[in-house]
Amino acid sequence: MDLRRVIGWLVAIVILAAGLALLEFSGQAVWQGFAVNVGLFIILTVSLNLSNGFTGVFSLGQIGFMALGAYISAILTLPLAVKHEYLPNLPAWLAGVHFDFMVGAFPLGYLLAMLIAGVLVACVALLVGLVLMRLSGHFVAVATLGFLVIVRVVLFNADNFTRGSRTFSNVTPYTDLWWVWAWAVITIYVVWRLKFSSYGRAMFAQSQDRVAAQAIGITFMQPRLLAFVVSAFFTAIAGALYAHFITSFSPTVFYFDLTFRVVVMLVIGGMGSVTGSVLGAVLVLSLAEVLRRIEDVNQLYGMSLLILAVIFILIIIFRREGIMGSREIDLGNLFVKGGRKESSVESRQSSVERITE
Amino acid sequence: MKTLRIPIFAVALIAELLLIACAPAALPTAAPPTAASAQPTSAPAQPTSAPAQPTTAAQPTSAPSGGGTIKIGGGFALTGDESVLDLPAANGAKLAAKEINAAGGINGQMIDFIVHDSQYKMDVTAQVCKQFVEEDKVVAVVGFTDTDSVLACGPVIQAAGLPFVTAGATSPKIPSQVGDKMFLACFGDNVQASAGAEFAAQKFGKNAYLLWDKGVEYTTLLAGYFKSRFTDSDIGGKIVLEDSYDDKATDFSAQITKLKALPQQPDFYYVAAMPYNVGTVVKQMRDAGITGPIVGGDGYDDPSWVAAVGNASNNVYFSTHALNDATAGSDAYKKFFNAYKAEYGHDPENAFAALGYDAVYLMADAIKRAGSTDPNAITKALRETKDFPGITGSITFGASQVPQKGVTIISLVDGKYTLGAQLVPQKVAAP
Repeated sequence: MDLRRVIGWLVAIVILAAGLALLEFSGQAVWQGFAVNVGLFIILTVSLNLSNGFTGVFSLGQIGFMALGAYISAILTLPLAVKHEYLPNLPAWLAGVHFDFMVGAFPLGYLLAMLIAGVLVACVALLVGLVLMRLSGHFVAVATLGFLVIVRVVLFNADNFTRGSRTFSNVTPYTDLWWVWAWAVITIYVVWRLKFSSYGRAMFAQSQDRVAAQAIGITFMQPRLLAFVVSAFFTAIAGALYAHFITSFSPTVFYFDLTFRVVVMLVIGGMGSVTGSVLGAVLVLSLAEVLRRIEDVNQLYGMSLLILAVIFILIIIFRREGIMGSREIDLGNLFVKGGRKESSVESRQSSVERITE
Repeated sequence: MKTLRIPIFAVALIAELLLIACAPAALPTAAPPTAASAQPTSAPAQPTSAPAQPTTAAQPTSAPSGGGTIKIGGGFALTGDESVLDLPAANGAKLAAKEINAAGGINGQMIDFIVHDSQYKMDVTAQVCKQFVEEDKVVAVVGFTDTDSVLACGPVIQAAGLPFVTAGATSPKIPSQVGDKMFLACFGDNVQASAGAEFAAQKFGKNAYLLWDKGVEYTTLLAGYFKSRFTDSDIGGKIVLEDSYDDKATDFSAQITKLKALPQQPDFYYVAAMPYNVGTVVKQMRDAGITGPIVGGDGYDDPSWVAAVGNASNNVYFSTHALNDATAGSDAYKKFFNAYKAEYGHDPENAFAALGYDAVYLMADAIKRAGSTDPNAITKALRETKDFPGITGSITFGASQVPQKGVTIISLVDGKYTLGAQLVPQKVAAP
């Protein structure tokens, strides 16, 4: 691995850690909450980029995985006493489980519950993907939307496990800045490495021209499944983080509203670019917060939603590929002088796009 | 088409600058007053803050009650699905604050009623409540008409030790879920369902059909409480058929078909529905030939569906917080009705406007009795509230943070709200 890039990553992580430490030390809960939100949406947007932007499969069902991750992890971490009161009808093998144990000050149970939720949801994604990833275009968008609706209905009806429509509350607030951003860094790293690997290139290839890709031996199912499953894993993690941050949720939270918020961030940032997703999430959330405060003071409620919608339309019209397109900001170049320019696949892709424009 | 090359860093930089400029409270040591001047202080004169001050500027001191004003936070979903109830509640609350200030304030201090829009998004709600605690430095919070928002906001307010009065979230479980500083200004769903059960059993009969929206906590709980009270031994009612539908459904023919297939139609139909579904359900039931009385909860309290369905709304009854009518209500209610109309130019949309009004007056009354703005003192005073004369009913807290309150049953006749009954249920289903 290129030494410059390693150093670039490390420098970025150190700067991030310093920023987080400063924020935590300042004790400003509002901005800490904002930073947690930003981190959460970064994980969501980057995962969505993996499953949508890289493979060209426009899945709208991602938030279904988030819902499953939130519920599974919350059911697991509820302390026993609360569990008996809240979920009295759990089956015996689940009723005794409570992942609320700590190791010193570290909530090991929370980590385990999160990982279990992620793995289980990834398995669900595998099954769903085997069926749905053979579709393309509008069909997969509608089919995955159907999956989102199915998850919602299942969550409503499985009220022995999920309390149905009743708000699932009293979840222990384990999530803080460090948890969210640690997972955000991991997600970005994994997706980045996937992108610049043969798996990633296979994903881009089959999304650009499926027949040509198949002609040289790249199937379409394997890259798509890989993207779908990995994306579902990280989305479930985001769900677990969300559940233990807001501490109360119900199936209505994980529906169209959240889906389209993430899609907007993805499109504005640029599908196919990891840094684009990060930027998209940061920009949209920052803008939403700024506008919210302005509209609060001026009592022009609803203005922020209008403005965000207008910006989204303008981006689609004038810069369809989003802010970054599918380019990346190479951390190797950014922090260390004299790094080599990012190569090949992406710049050639964007030049192909310009020619065929 | 020429593609715009937007310099990414410029965009990011501008966004960050905007963020910093517009959020002066975030900078711990920067001089808040000068940063606050960047705030549009030429905002349209807010009716609630009698001493004009930029409401989101941070106080240089950390004492919440410094400066001679009492800061009360008002959290409402002014945009989003719940706004049909929250917006009137917010308007009622702001009107109450204005009236109190016009009458000299509380113990000589003016109320600074700070309203934030939670957009009916749970993460924004949590942010808004953190903002109340940290930036606005309120001593108490009033707000919301739905349980989900209260649960998203409640833990933050409880952890900060501030009292929280919800205007319209009716789940009686809320205090046990949030904590001992959480109070309801409205009756609990168990109370209104019990009242509905007793009223309907006495007026219509002992056989009922039960239908509820299974996608929302409020309707699920309401139906459960109704069933529990109705089938209780002293009423001895019987649910001949129960059924449910999804929150987003628009076609209820499946449920109606099952209902029509019954060998004998029940005496009445208890339908626990949300305001956006009531009209459709009632119309489809009437169109299918079901003419019996339909009974429901305060989710029916929204005049727009009544106008939309026309005659189908006859023979419909629902329990709610007050009769929102200028002519038929109590004297105190009429006064509120006219004041609301004078302030906002239109009638109060529904009884939730009155709830918001009562919630602020309740909080003000507690602050007055506490004699200080110490949150603990206010909480204690709230708990000791006895026979507080709210326009939606008399409020007494006693041992519970859910008030013992009377229930108004409204009957719809020719599209008009008329008083069906006003009762306090003899027995209440357990929360």
